[in-house]
Amino acid sequence: MHIVCCIKQVPDTAQVKIDPETNTLIRSGVESICNPYDLVAVETAVQLTEKHGGKVTVITMGPPQAEAALRDCLALGASEAILLSDRAFAGADTLATGFTLSQTINKIAAAEPVDLVICGKQAIDGDTGQTGPGLATRLGYSQFTYVSEIIKVDLKNRTIRVRREVEGGREIIEGKLPALLTAELDLATPRYATLPELVRALRHPIKTWGAKDITDTPEKLGLKGSPTSVKEIFTPGARAGGLVFDTAAADGRTTADFINTLFEKESVLLDGLLDQG
Amino acid sequence: MPKNSQGRDIAEIIPDKCIACQLCVAECPVSAIQMVGGVAKIDPELCIGCGRCFDVCPVNAVIFEKPRQKRAAAGQAPPPGDYQGVAVFIEVRDGRGAEVSWELVGKAREIAGKLKTKVLGFLPGSGVSSIAEEAIAYGCDTVYTVDDARLESFLPKTYGHALVQLCNMAKPEILLLGATGLGRDLASVVATRLETGLTADCTGLDVDPENRWLLMTRPTFGGNIMATILCRQRRPQMSTVRPRVMKLPLKDPARRGEIQRVEWEAVEGDLPKIIEFLPRAAAGIDITGAPVLVVVGKGACDVKNLPMLEELAGLLQGTIACSRAVVETGLLPYERQVGQTGKTVAPKIYIGVGVSGAVQHLAGMQGSERIIAINTDRHAPLVQIADYAIIGDYTEIVPEMIKGIKARIKQASKK
Repeated sequence: MHIVCCIKQVPDTAQVKIDPETNTLIRSGVESICNPYDLVAVETAVQLTEKHGGKVTVITMGPPQAEAALRDCLALGASEAILLSDRAFAGADTLATGFTLSQTINKIAAAEPVDLVICGKQAIDGDTGQTGPGLATRLGYSQFTYVSEIIKVDLKNRTIRVRREVEGGREIIEGKLPALLTAELDLATPRYATLPELVRALRHPIKTWGAKDITDTPEKLGLKGSPTSVKEIFTPGARAGGLVFDTAAADGRTTADFINTLFEKESVLLDGLLDQG
Repeated sequence: MPKNSQGRDIAEIIPDKCIACQLCVAECPVSAIQMVGGVAKIDPELCIGCGRCFDVCPVNAVIFEKPRQKRAAAGQAPPPGDYQGVAVFIEVRDGRGAEVSWELVGKAREIAGKLKTKVLGFLPGSGVSSIAEEAIAYGCDTVYTVDDARLESFLPKTYGHALVQLCNMAKPEILLLGATGLGRDLASVVATRLETGLTADCTGLDVDPENRWLLMTRPTFGGNIMATILCRQRRPQMSTVRPRVMKLPLKDPARRGEIQRVEWEAVEGDLPKIIEFLPRAAAGIDITGAPVLVVVGKGACDVKNLPMLEELAGLLQGTIACSRAVVETGLLPYERQVGQTGKTVAPKIYIGVGVSGAVQHLAGMQGSERIIAINTDRHAPLVQIADYAIIGDYTEIVPEMIKGIKARIKQASKK
């Protein structure tokens, strides 16, 4: 089976620090990583091809440096990697991104039919979770978001059965291939790449496609194809710190005193919650 | 002003201000700007000093000192004028209107007031007439129902189809949806099919009545930056809003409104089939709905003390959640994780026990009404933002809290 994974390079938010004086992000020197949910998507895809045969193609849209994220995926066992890099793609919102990815996947599928597309459920820098469903809609594929388990892939009858995390519970759902899934973190655990895999990933050629390679309607790409625009950006007012009690500071107050002060101050909120049963 | 080796005045980017929106990359006529390490960087030798990057930068991260005014964005066609009204998708959960939908109806009323227009309810589902009445009581002027047995369970395709149908018919200028899993999926399907702009997970909504623009504010970069987004030309302007961000309006059973039944244009082709639904009780718990969360951090990651923390949570009708580090140790499952890669929560009371408060964790809980931190480290980030912080050993502090709460319960039951 042929699986396409859409991945994104994101700033490693674990390294993002806040300047305590100005309350702004210190962004310089922050490394870029492959979005963690996308690594789960790739691992899932690789496991499926290990079971059913076939190949995994990873694609990403981004600057030339995004190649590093593709190499991470090759090291996990992906077979092919395509970098979508063109100035015409820059400034894309989710609508334009969905269009760009759908055109790319249609081109890939024309050469080699695609059974499954797997994306991370969201990217950790934007957290929108919109790209997957938008892409499935454009491709006309069955859409399963927030997937936490793949129960069965039936290539003969062209169906897939998955478990999804939904409001109030979990859903077991079955639909036709080709399908698009978005991955929850517990769908799979990305393996540690072995040394030979890492070497292969470094040597593997990566194709770069530009606007002309995927579409005749460049006005739907990037900034031009994006209906939304940023009006302004601001730093949210930091939550001011409140009362602090240090149990080690012997000022005569006990922990119980402080807790009582807390309860008195918040009595309205608290009394509504007390379990009197 | 910086110059390049050819002596030309050039623009420069302040990396700490750059938000990686790449607008300058798209705008630069000579491809002199590239993303390097997550921020835009101008190649001084390629830069021709035209200042277009300076014009488009939304955060003033470009230094460009040629004496000139910021140019307005290139001429844009006005939005289509025949779109009117603020629509809310009314989500049905367990046969009832989801609370987030009513919260949005309340917000829609406020926006519609400023725009001098109506609030519309979009209600696809099966057997939804009583919910339509309720939508009016909460503030809808007109409710469009698409009542069809085939819309009994949610599928993005069928619901998307119904909503597109309603948008084409009622032509709302704004469409709001709850940022639930279902709402996010649906919003994306509808925005893609209507080729319009969608802004996810807004925490603030306002309008510019003159231009009839919806001002959609959302946290980005893990909640550390707020961005206000516009959809200038396409309609409807679409936005999803997380539950419990907007205030639940009061229900007025005497309110009058109109209900319009719309026949569903069914979708062709094979549709996915829901085989089974496992409710949360059997499947696990949902920490996003709990009014109180006792959140276990690395500093309290001890199986021996878990019962004590569970007792504290139980006394307040709450439940146990945790940080990522605790999930990694295997003490608690992933579904209890708060933070960027876990769940976003906004309980009435958040009690962090041994939680230091990394940026990604804070991003998932900053909306909490009250924050209490128990930690040995006075300088932990969570202590800095907490409304109440107790510095010390949690194994001594938590029993004191339990004792205090039990005393209050006793007091209350006497009254």
